[in-house]
Amino acid sequence: MTWSTAMLVLLACAAEAQPRLLTLPSRSPLVSFRIVFLTGAASDPAGKEGTAWLTAAMLAQGGSRQMSYQQILEVFFPMAVTVSSQVDKEMTVFSATTHQDNLEEFYRIFRSMLLEPGWREEDLTRLRDDAVNFLRVTLRGNNDEELGKEVLYNEIYAGHPYGHHNVGVVSALQKLRMEDLREFYRRHYTQANLIIGLAGGYPEGFAEKVRKDFSVLPAGPATALKLPEPRPLRGRRVTLVQKETRSVAISIGFPISVRRGHPDYPALLVAQSWFGQHRMSGGRLFQRMRELRGLNYGDYAYIEYFPRGMFQFEPDPNLARRQQIFQIWIRPVEPENAHFALRLALYEMDRLVRRGLSRDEFERTRQFLSKYVNLLTRTKSAELGYAIDSLFYRIPDYNSYVKQALARLRVEEVNRAIRRHLRTTDLHIVAVAKDCERLRARLLSDEPSPIRYNAPRPKEILEEDKIVERWKLGLKPEDVRIIPAEKIFE
Amino acid sequence: MRWWVTLMLCAFLTAPASERKVFPYSWDEHDFPNGLRLITIPTDYPNVVALYIVVQAGSRNEVEPGKSGFAHLFEHMMFRGTRNYPPEKYEAVLKAAGASSNAYTTDDHTAYHTTFSKEDLETILAMEADRFQNLEYSRDVFRTEALAVLGEYNKNSSDPANKLEEVLRDTAFDRHTYKHTTMGFLKDILQMPEHYEYSRLFFERYYRPEYTTIILAGDIEPAKAKELVSRYWGSWKRGSFRPEIPAEPPANGPRSNHIAWPTPTLPWVVVAFRGPAYSDEEPDHAALDLIAYLGFSETSELYQKLVIREQRVDILEAENLRRVDPYLFCVWARIKKEEDVASVRDEILATLARFAAEPVEPQRLERVKRHLRYRFALSLRDSEAVAAAAARYVALRRTPATIDRLFALYEQLTPATILAVARKYFVDAGRTVITLAGGGSQ
Repeated sequence: MTWSTAMLVLLACAAEAQPRLLTLPSRSPLVSFRIVFLTGAASDPAGKEGTAWLTAAMLAQGGSRQMSYQQILEVFFPMAVTVSSQVDKEMTVFSATTHQDNLEEFYRIFRSMLLEPGWREEDLTRLRDDAVNFLRVTLRGNNDEELGKEVLYNEIYAGHPYGHHNVGVVSALQKLRMEDLREFYRRHYTQANLIIGLAGGYPEGFAEKVRKDFSVLPAGPATALKLPEPRPLRGRRVTLVQKETRSVAISIGFPISVRRGHPDYPALLVAQSWFGQHRMSGGRLFQRMRELRGLNYGDYAYIEYFPRGMFQFEPDPNLARRQQIFQIWIRPVEPENAHFALRLALYEMDRLVRRGLSRDEFERTRQFLSKYVNLLTRTKSAELGYAIDSLFYRIPDYNSYVKQALARLRVEEVNRAIRRHLRTTDLHIVAVAKDCERLRARLLSDEPSPIRYNAPRPKEILEEDKIVERWKLGLKPEDVRIIPAEKIFE
Repeated sequence: MRWWVTLMLCAFLTAPASERKVFPYSWDEHDFPNGLRLITIPTDYPNVVALYIVVQAGSRNEVEPGKSGFAHLFEHMMFRGTRNYPPEKYEAVLKAAGASSNAYTTDDHTAYHTTFSKEDLETILAMEADRFQNLEYSRDVFRTEALAVLGEYNKNSSDPANKLEEVLRDTAFDRHTYKHTTMGFLKDILQMPEHYEYSRLFFERYYRPEYTTIILAGDIEPAKAKELVSRYWGSWKRGSFRPEIPAEPPANGPRSNHIAWPTPTLPWVVVAFRGPAYSDEEPDHAALDLIAYLGFSETSELYQKLVIREQRVDILEAENLRRVDPYLFCVWARIKKEEDVASVRDEILATLARFAAEPVEPQRLERVKRHLRYRFALSLRDSEAVAAAAARYVALRRTPATIDRLFALYEQLTPATILAVARKYFVDAGRTVITLAGGGSQ
């Protein structure tokens, strides 16, 4: 799909006040749906955090007016199809892929799930339990890395519409009533918020039929969400999450004004890729922290929200946001190396900001990204997701946007963008650790934190370590806060 | 999609069961004189090529005591370079190709996979051939990489599911190497830096053409791929090592174990029975696949009762892993309240006992077979997924032909076979039950 056709669709729909429709027809026997509503957790009413998530869950994993959830599962089972929902701050997506043999029967039920929800109390009880158990057990209890990342977002966006986890807050989830969800559905599941995405081998006329069916939703309005700037960070702030755990997971970040469509996005994409391309071993952080020093399993950098990174190599589409943060992800390190690892990441960041990329590093990263971008959209469903995100960001289709921008980009622009947007101060650090008091004392002391190796290291590394182990964090007692894990997301 | 693929995909669900091809691609298989096998799978997805190099050695091959986790550590070492391609150059080539590259290790195999643009096929094949033949790393680099493996253990260690698997295997097996997970025992991981020589031995034994199959799926020309593989991999020397994997003695259970988890978490129960090895000829393993879905998938009676109606359980799933040697049939449940653990365990046991007591309804059996066919078709969403799916089966029988043979076997299974297989395996002697409960308060 091209920018011009996507825009035509968008403009035509705006004129006729119909749902926007994006189609990627192909001869595949599979048909993929992405039904997106431009609303999400940032629109949760105050004190009712989790409304957006539970509303979407009631549609995707609850019954419709005609059928109980149990009956829906019965019909879907032989088709091996599942409907999933994903809620982010400003976007909610319902996605499914079916074989074209089953398209008609699947779509009949899928449509009724989204347009005629059943709102059954037993579904709400089950899904509320799922939400609470996800926050308390799956995330807080069993995944230190994702916990650290999510706490980082909550801290950076405290007091901001982005300031709570997409699934919600436990105490609010426990109080939510069916009427809260129905009200959210009425207000936000409107045609003005809707983008229908359809890809694969669907028959002629099908796309128009879907658009017509979804025209029963209220026309509007679009979700009006005022997004203030996140509270400015001063110096370095640290949140230590106390829990019984073997190792220390660290995340570092700060807000950036750059998102897709911003003039500096391609430049910062190059910088991020060179510094810490997700789950790839060529990034600078990975090389210096894991390959040369054996500190942990991997170290990466991001300029866009990328949840579930420990389970996947490519990000999910439809997590589009107006505001993003820059983030460093340090995978769990042995407790005695936590102070050193944090210093090394900041030391590398400092080096990046001061020195930028060499012409050669820039050229190699540009070449990588120009090809790698094809892999992001290699399934029809992903291509569709990226096309929808491009509508959100008002850019051409993602692959052309990135490739064309990279072709024009110069190393000086990358280094200027690095200096403009990246830094080693005015940032937030989160560490999930067992002995937080001790870690706090070490961080505050700014004492050297030498690393001990199990094998000889090159002189260059040992000399660099001498600088890293003394790298000043300059923290004051009020900058370092300890929170027991049990208090998070409550 | 090319017309012939579309036709095949459409036809497989409507054709008579005996003629159905579930793996819809027309693939080619070629054996080189040194024992290396190449499988080419052209797909219609343009520009992209997915390469999977499958080595039929995994944690099952870790026969020496104290060496658990070595196949996986070795997978890490494979990224440490050769004389021609030191790690920086290896990275630079991958980067220039815009490639996505990684690897994984399981019980029976290790797979190295790279997805890239078609014009880089020769470059990537040449470079991979070099590291499989000429891998070189120093003792110091080895010791450093062993720490990255410890880092991997550490990042997994906050999830009780990993601990459950570790204890389940250790409890259920006495002699076979399935006793340990692929990650290995922590005590062995901590000792890894000391075993440089063993790592070289592992390479000498298993990184040989007769253990290796190259899978290429995507925008490829099979003849050209064959010529390239012959050019770069043809001189690789065949080995001679055959491991003696200790056989597990007959089951003498029932056995059980409990894990006290140090932090708050929901309790788990795992009910396992000794099961058969993977087979595309004998019905046993395939029948247990069907039982897994009949008994514990979203539409099963037990799931509907425990998860949907009574809402006492939030995760319920059965697992019947395809393994070279006999492994376990397992049912996993995460339970919302501690006091329900015993009754959920009993419900799972009663469900399994029913399969051994009465035949299942034929219609239900047909629904599961249909589910499995569509599930597999829906998983083939791009060239990478096609190669990945093929790799899992190639690890077992060295050919994608086993996929169609397995699905043909499913079609032949009747309620009577299900009954007989359930009676054979769901017996007290083969049973292991593991429970886990969290500490502290929520």
